[in-house]
Amino acid sequence: MHIPDGLLDPITIIILWIVSISVMIIGYFRMGNLFEKEDSEKLIPYIGVLAAVIFAFQFVNYPVPGGTSGHLVGGTLVAIILGPWASVIVLFLILVVQSLFGDGGITALGANTFNMGIIGGMIGFYIVVFIVKLLNHTSLKKEVKITIATAIGSYIAIVLASFICGIEIAIGGAIPIEIAILSMVFWHLIIGLGEGIISALIVFYIYKTKPDFITTESIMGLNKR
Amino acid sequence: MIEFKRYKWPIITFLVIAVALILALATGFTIGFLSENPDGLERVLIDTYGEEWLENLISPWVPILSWITNDYVAGIIGMILSITLMIGVFYLISNSKKKKGRNIEI
Repeated sequence: MHIPDGLLDPITIIILWIVSISVMIIGYFRMGNLFEKEDSEKLIPYIGVLAAVIFAFQFVNYPVPGGTSGHLVGGTLVAIILGPWASVIVLFLILVVQSLFGDGGITALGANTFNMGIIGGMIGFYIVVFIVKLLNHTSLKKEVKITIATAIGSYIAIVLASFICGIEIAIGGAIPIEIAILSMVFWHLIIGLGEGIISALIVFYIYKTKPDFITTESIMGLNKR
Repeated sequence: MIEFKRYKWPIITFLVIAVALILALATGFTIGFLSENPDGLERVLIDTYGEEWLENLISPWVPILSWITNDYVAGIIGMILSITLMIGVFYLISNSKKKKGRNIEI
């Protein structure tokens, strides 16, 4: 879903750069007390690991039926672990590194951050929170609730991001809007399954082995029961 | 001075996962379970205009690491860059937030 240079029109590029930078600035102030605690430096090596994991998973493509391939975006996954605001910054930094290799354009960095960080991360996160809150009325185990919610939330976020990406490309005039949206959503309905499964497995593993690493547990209301 | 005892487990976890990812990339590229097919957006663009059109899109710059053609090398360099950038940025964020917190207390 990495938009290359030369595909978007200048106004879309500028607007999405402004939106993404604004969200990151707000994110810095809204990241909560996660980084204010005395031992918060202990988190930093783990954030480094998370960056490596997301980069590696975004870098390698798994085969998808129909002659295409998919890769993890990881926005929702990072948002569940570090919180929605931090996830936008993490995704932006990963996209910066990827653009150095030509994977995603430098002018389209704002748009890519918007699609994968804001839609894929923040919106995906709030979908996960909504689903967890619904599941909190059931007797399911906490790790099952968060795993199911992650799978569904990540999937919806990817499909939604592909829909928005289709609109952005169509505004640029590269492809007619009906083709852009339909094709993008069609392929991502299939590709998103991988995103949902991989994200859910990683969250399940972390929640089983090191639950305190999921810093958004209280937002989801998982620590009440 | 960094107290290594205090950060023993984060550093061990960090090293173990980094090595595991490097091995996973090496295995993936060697046995070829990873796909060379275009991803979703590339597929849409190729289906509409063809591969040549996609390769000839105008870019204001030549990506500075695009000369690395070996996927495995690019993957490792990318991971190292991501880790360095992420640790650097979040270290600065953490430090500035703590400094701000201390100023408020005073």
